[in-house]
Amino acid sequence: MKTSRFPLIVLMILLGFLIIPFLVVLIAAFGGDPSLRFPPSSFSLKWFKEIMSQKAFIKGFWVSVKVAGLSSLLSITIGVSIAYALARYSFRAKELVQLIATLPVIIPQLVVGLALLKYLVIKTNLSVIPALVIGHAALFIPYAVRIVLASLSNLPIDIEQSAVSLGASRFYTFFRIVLPNIRDAVLTSLILTFILSFNNVPVSLFLTDVGIATLPIQMLSYMEYNFDPSIAALSTLLIIFSAAVVFITERLIGLSQAFK
Amino acid sequence: MTLYSKWPWFLVLPGLIFLVIAFILPIAVLFANSLFDGSSLSLINYLNFVQDPVSQRAYLRTVKIAVIVTLLAMAFCYPAAYAVSRLSSKWRILLIALIILPLMTNSVARTFSWMVILGRQGLINNALKLIGLEPLRILYTENAVFIGLLHLFIPLMMLPLISAFENIPEDVELAARNLGASEWQIFLKIFMPLTAEGLAIGGILVFTGCVTAYVTPAILGGSRHLMLSTLLYQKASVTLDWVGATVVAVVMFITTLIVIYFIRLVSGTQRSKPAGSQ
Repeated sequence: MKTSRFPLIVLMILLGFLIIPFLVVLIAAFGGDPSLRFPPSSFSLKWFKEIMSQKAFIKGFWVSVKVAGLSSLLSITIGVSIAYALARYSFRAKELVQLIATLPVIIPQLVVGLALLKYLVIKTNLSVIPALVIGHAALFIPYAVRIVLASLSNLPIDIEQSAVSLGASRFYTFFRIVLPNIRDAVLTSLILTFILSFNNVPVSLFLTDVGIATLPIQMLSYMEYNFDPSIAALSTLLIIFSAAVVFITERLIGLSQAFK
Repeated sequence: MTLYSKWPWFLVLPGLIFLVIAFILPIAVLFANSLFDGSSLSLINYLNFVQDPVSQRAYLRTVKIAVIVTLLAMAFCYPAAYAVSRLSSKWRILLIALIILPLMTNSVARTFSWMVILGRQGLINNALKLIGLEPLRILYTENAVFIGLLHLFIPLMMLPLISAFENIPEDVELAARNLGASEWQIFLKIFMPLTAEGLAIGGILVFTGCVTAYVTPAILGGSRHLMLSTLLYQKASVTLDWVGATVVAVVMFITTLIVIYFIRLVSGTQRSKPAGSQ
C-alpha cells in the first residue's frame, strides 16, 4: 500500500525533539568546565563526585524515597478499597464517592499545595515528612482507584460468587481470590504513584522546609544560585533511574496499559 | 452487576475521611476565604486581581502560552500518532515506552536540559558562534517557556491520540482509499470524527498542564515573565500575600474548568479521564 510519508517524517522530528534534550544532559554531565557549557571543552567525572559530596542532594534523595514509599503505600491501600467498593457493591452515594475519589486530579497541584500548607499543616503543626506523605497520597489516590477499577471490571465476577457461595468469607475471598488476580494493576499503580511522588514539585514546593526538602526541591533551590554541570550529573542519574523503572515495568506488566 | 448490596462503610469511609480532611476541607476553606474582606463577604480580592497590571499580564501570558502550546502539540502529534499506530506492534511498544519515559522523568531534570541547549554557552548559541552568527537570547524569554512546555506535554497529547488511532481499523482507511477518497477526505470524514475524543483528552491535559505548570516558567522564563503559577508562588512565598495567592489559585482553577468545559462542548465528548502527570 502506498501512503504518504509525511506522518512518519513528523514522527521522527517529534522523537528527535523529545530525545535530544536527554542526550544533551547526558553529555553535559561529563563536562570538565567549571560552569555549564555545551559542548563541553573537556570531559571528566568530577560532577558525579561533586553531587555525592553534596549533603543537600543525598539528604533530599532519602527524603524523596521515604515520602514516595509511604505515600504510594497509603494511596494504594485507600485506592484498592475504594475501587473494590465501587466495583462490587451497590450503594447509594456511589457517584459521590466516585467524584470525591477523582477530585484531586482536577484541582491544580499548586493550589493543593497552597491549601494544604495554609489549612492543614500550619493549623495542626504537622512536620514536613507526614505533611508530604499525606499531600502526595491524596493527590495520587485517583490514579490508584482508576487503574485498580479497570482491572476489577475486567475480572469476571463469577469466581468471587462461587467462592462466596461455597462459604468463603468476604475477607478470604478478597485476599485469596481477588487480590492475586489484580496483582499487576496494584503493582502498576504502586510504581506509578511512587514515581509521581518522587518527582513531584508543585505540592512539595509548599510543604517542604528549609531543613527538610525532597530532591526536586533541593535541585530547584540549588539552580537558583549555581549554573554548573552538577545538576546535569544528577539529572543523568534520575533519567537512568526512570528509564530503568519504565523498562522493568514494561517487561513485567506493560506500563503502557496504565496510560490508556 | 454487583456482588454485594450492603453499604461498604469499612471500605469507603477510611479513604473518604482521609480525602475530606487532607484535601477537600483545606481547599474549600481556601476558596471560601478568598471571598471575604475581613469578616464581610466581598469580591474586593478579585477586583484587586483584575485591576492589577502585573496580574493582568500574567493571566494573558498564561492563556496565550497555553493556547499556542496546545495547538502546536495537536498539529505535531496528530500525524505522528497516526504514524505510530500504523507501525508493527514491536516498534509501537518501543515508541510508546520512549514517549512514556519523559513523563516518568523528573520535570526539573527535563527543564534543566533546555537550559543547557538554550543558554548563552549552550548548544544553539555555540553552534551559531561556530558559523559566525551573533548569539541569540532565548533563555529567560517567553520562547524558552514555549519550547520547554511543548517538550513537557507532547507525551500527554501523543498517548490519547495513539490509542484513538489504534481503535480505527486499517480496513476503514483502505476501503475509503479504494473507493477513491482523497487524503483530505479521509482526514476530514474518517479520522477527525473518530479521533475527536482523543484529541479532546490530549487538549485538556496539555492546556491544564500549561496553565498549572510551575517548574518550566520558573526556570526557563525567569522572574520577568511571570505566569499564573509563578505569580501564585511569588505571592505566597516571597511577598507573603496569602489572599492574593489564593485569588490566583481560584482564577487558575476556574480557567482550567472553563477550558475543559469548552473543549468537551466542541468535541462533543462527555467521558472524562483523569489527567496524566505534572
